[in-house]
Amino acid sequence: MAANSGSDKGTRNLVIGMVLFIVAVGIIFSFISNRASSNFAIPAAVSEADGYGIVLNPTATPTIDIWVDYQCPACRSFEVLNGGYINEIIAQKKAKVVFHPLTFIGAESIIAANAAACAADENKFVDMNLALFQNQAGSENSGKWQGDAMLALGDSIGIKSDSFKECVREGNYVKWTRNVTDASASKNVNSTPTIRINGKDLDRNTEYGDPVKFKAALAAGGVK
Amino acid sequence: MADKFKVAQPWLTLLARLILGVVLLVAGTLKVPNLPKSAMAVRAYEMLPIPIANFLGYTLPWIEIGLGLLLIVGVTVKISGALGALTMLAFIIAIAQAWARGLSIDCGCFGGGGAIDPEDTKYLSEIIRDIGLMGLGIFLYLYPKGRFAIEK
Repeated sequence: MAANSGSDKGTRNLVIGMVLFIVAVGIIFSFISNRASSNFAIPAAVSEADGYGIVLNPTATPTIDIWVDYQCPACRSFEVLNGGYINEIIAQKKAKVVFHPLTFIGAESIIAANAAACAADENKFVDMNLALFQNQAGSENSGKWQGDAMLALGDSIGIKSDSFKECVREGNYVKWTRNVTDASASKNVNSTPTIRINGKDLDRNTEYGDPVKFKAALAAGGVK
Repeated sequence: MADKFKVAQPWLTLLARLILGVVLLVAGTLKVPNLPKSAMAVRAYEMLPIPIANFLGYTLPWIEIGLGLLLIVGVTVKISGALGALTMLAFIIAIAQAWARGLSIDCGCFGGGGAIDPEDTKYLSEIIRDIGLMGLGIFLYLYPKGRFAIEK
C-alpha cells in the first residue's frame, strides 16, 4: 500500500509538473511570437507616433484614424459608402488620414496588410486600399488572397515594379502588422471598422452607415 | 437514494471532469492561434485597465488549457474544480455587467470577441451555460474522487 501510494504521488506530481510546464512554455512562446518591435521594417509612410499607421498628408489637420481589417465585410461596406469621400479628403489635403490595417481575421488579412504597405512604398496606397476591398472574397479566410493574388491586384492598379513584387513575396512588412496590432490594443480598438477624428470615436451605430451623417461628423471634427 | 448516489457518484465525478475539462481545453485551444483577438475580447468588456486586459487575454487561454488537462486526467481535481468554478463565476459576472451596461459584445469564450450588432448578443444563453459549468466545478470540489483518475 505504501509503495502504491508512493508511486501514485510520484505520477500525480509528474502530471502536475508537465501541465505547469506546458502552460508556462505556452505563455512564454505566445508573448514572444506576438511581440512587436521597433526594429521591424516599416514603410516610409508609417509613423510610430501615429500608432504605426500609414499616414497620408502628415502635416494636415485634423487627424482621422481608420482601423480596418481587409477581410472584414463591415469594413468593405464602410468603404463602399464613405471611401470616396475619404479619398477626396486625402486628395484635397483637407485632413491627415492614418490607416491602421488590423489582422485579426486571419492569415490573408496579414497578406493584404503587407501588400497595402508595399503599395504605400510605391505611393499607391489609396488605390491599393480600394482595390483590396473591391477584391474582397465572399467569405473570410477563403484562400482567395493566397499565392500571387496580391501581385495581380497590384498589377491591376498599375504597380509593376520589381520592388513591389519582392516586397509582397518576401512579406517585408508582415512583422509591422504586429506593431499596428499592439498600438491598436493600447488604444482600445475593439472592432473594425473604427474611425476616430482627433482621437475621438465616431458613433458606429449612426455615423458609419450614413454618408451624410459621416460627412457631418467629420466636419464637426474640423474637416472643411 | 443515498446509496444510489454513492454508487453513481464516481461516475458523475468522471462525467463532470470530462465535460468541464474538455470545454476548458477547447476554449483555450481555440484562442491560442489568435491571442491579439483574445486580448481584444477581454478589452471589450471594459472592466479592466487596458494593459491588464491585454495580459489576461494572452494568459487566460493557457490557464484554461492547463485546468482542462488537469481535470481530464484527474489530478488535483478538488482544486481544479474549484478554480474552474471560480473562473466561470468571473465570466458570469463579466457577461452580466456587459449586458447590464448595454455593451454589445461577443463573449469571446471560444475565440472571437469584441463588438457585435446588438441583435446578435447572446448574453442569457452564455450566462446559463456558464452557470451549468460552474455547477460542475462546485460538484468536483465537493466530490473530487471518481473513476479513471490518475490521482486516487
